[in-house]
Amino acid sequence: MIPRVARSRGVNHTLVATAEDAPREAELAFDRLYRSSRDDVYAYAAGLLRDAAAAEEVTATVFERAYRKRARFDPNRGEPRAWLFGIARNAALDELRRRSRQAELTADPVDAASIADHHPAESSELRLVLAGALEKLEARERELVALKFFAGLSNAEIARVLGITESNAGTKLHRVVNKLREACHGTA
Amino acid sequence: MEPRRDDLDLAAELRALRPTPRSEFAARLDARAAAGFPRHGQDPASSMVGRLVERLRATPPRRLLAPAGTCAALAIGLATAVIAISENGSPPHSPRLTPDAHVRRFGASPGPTNPAPSAEGASRLDRYSSKASAAGEGSSGIQLSEGLSELQSMSRPSGPYASRAGHRDIERSAQIVLGADPTGVRAGAAKVFDAVHAADGIVLRSSIRDGAAGEAGATFDLLIPSARLGDALAAFSAIAEVRSRHESTQDITAPTVGVGERLQNTRAKIESLLSQLASAETDAERTVVEAELRTERRHAAALRSRLAVLQRRANFSRVSLRIETGAPSAGSEGGNWGVGDGLADAGRILAIAAGVTVIGLAVLGPLALIALIAWLGHRVWVRRRREQALA
Repeated sequence: MIPRVARSRGVNHTLVATAEDAPREAELAFDRLYRSSRDDVYAYAAGLLRDAAAAEEVTATVFERAYRKRARFDPNRGEPRAWLFGIARNAALDELRRRSRQAELTADPVDAASIADHHPAESSELRLVLAGALEKLEARERELVALKFFAGLSNAEIARVLGITESNAGTKLHRVVNKLREACHGTA
Repeated sequence: MEPRRDDLDLAAELRALRPTPRSEFAARLDARAAAGFPRHGQDPASSMVGRLVERLRATPPRRLLAPAGTCAALAIGLATAVIAISENGSPPHSPRLTPDAHVRRFGASPGPTNPAPSAEGASRLDRYSSKASAAGEGSSGIQLSEGLSELQSMSRPSGPYASRAGHRDIERSAQIVLGADPTGVRAGAAKVFDAVHAADGIVLRSSIRDGAAGEAGATFDLLIPSARLGDALAAFSAIAEVRSRHESTQDITAPTVGVGERLQNTRAKIESLLSQLASAETDAERTVVEAELRTERRHAAALRSRLAVLQRRANFSRVSLRIETGAPSAGSEGGNWGVGDGLADAGRILAIAAGVTVIGLAVLGPLALIALIAWLGHRVWVRRRREQALA
């Protein structure tokens, strides 16, 4: 079983909920969702857009939209994370579309130095190769990687976000991973 | 199936490449989340509308159903009330139409319960009526000339419907049923006579019967001057408990004016024939003219008679009054608003409400369908554009 990454590390700000202003259930649920997904949403947006500033903007937009729509979320229709990532995907694709209309932006270059500084040599080399391979992936493939490995969504959640079947999501992911593996082996 | 070691390594390395937000951004976003994502630079003027729209958008559709249904029900109720009131000129539970309502609906002049259009008009009508009646009794058409010229001036420009908007001939009738004890029938009948005399009316027929409850009673056929019908009915209503009261009106201006005009033509022809008769030189000519004159005079007499009848109908209202004893008969109407009336009103209101609903659906249904199609089309278009961004 693939271990899931710890989500949203570094969230040290507690959302205020005083006794006399007790938030409703929807607000509590949103609070939980925010705390568990803030970094995941950012990671997905940054992985897809390859632009930290745009990712921050998208992340803020996502949570704002989700907050405004929190009362409309129907738990019977799916997991809150899938719902949140549906919003995130729409926001990220809107941003992508906006950017495609404007002058093409250059992607953030991979910070090779920082990778090498913080990780053992063998591992850093693989990461550099992987980062390069990620850059060469198509946007759709990059989105799959971002959802699976950056945001930590399960195949079922990915399927729901993308509007495809779970097996289809698994197949697509498998192809992307194969592509990345081949890129790593080819370089090695 | 166990994942391969390569795959595990690759997954771990990919996760290690996971972008993380800057701490400043994270802190800023946490603060905004804690504050409930306030909007920046919101225009205070539009904030109320904006907040309302935002609130509506944030509300789950299921929660909107109840207020939307309530609004729709209120709208239907309001439209039903407006239609019912405008249809009747009175609230839907009114047992019977009043003569005023009749007059308003059919555009006639105010009835006897209201004052006549003017005192001058009323007196002129009375004067004309007496003249016409007198002429009807006599044989000479000359006696009618003054009355006819007045009628002519009243009806100018010619045409039964063209004029007299402020002075129309209305025939009125009323039926009233009073309830009394068997011992009070005679006293009630006496009061009826008093009221008729006070109104300068005429008792055409009366019948009083003593007996037990249900048998005792009285009936009256009365002619009341139309101008005093309201006062007379009020006096009758004060005699005993009113079990039913029904009044009706009919505009007879058109036949009155029509007969008057034909009478005027006949009169002119008679005068012409008289001139011819005076200038006739031979007996044969005289014989022919006299024969024609007889025919025209007969015609004029018939017209005068009809005019007098019409004027009598306008000037006098027929009132049928009954004093009954015992329990109210099943057929008696009005007065007390009963279960039957309630059911009838309820049925009518439901019919109006159903009509309003059907019309509302007929108008809103296609609009809603168009809006739904437009919304779905917009969604598909947006989704396609988003997918294209990934291509």
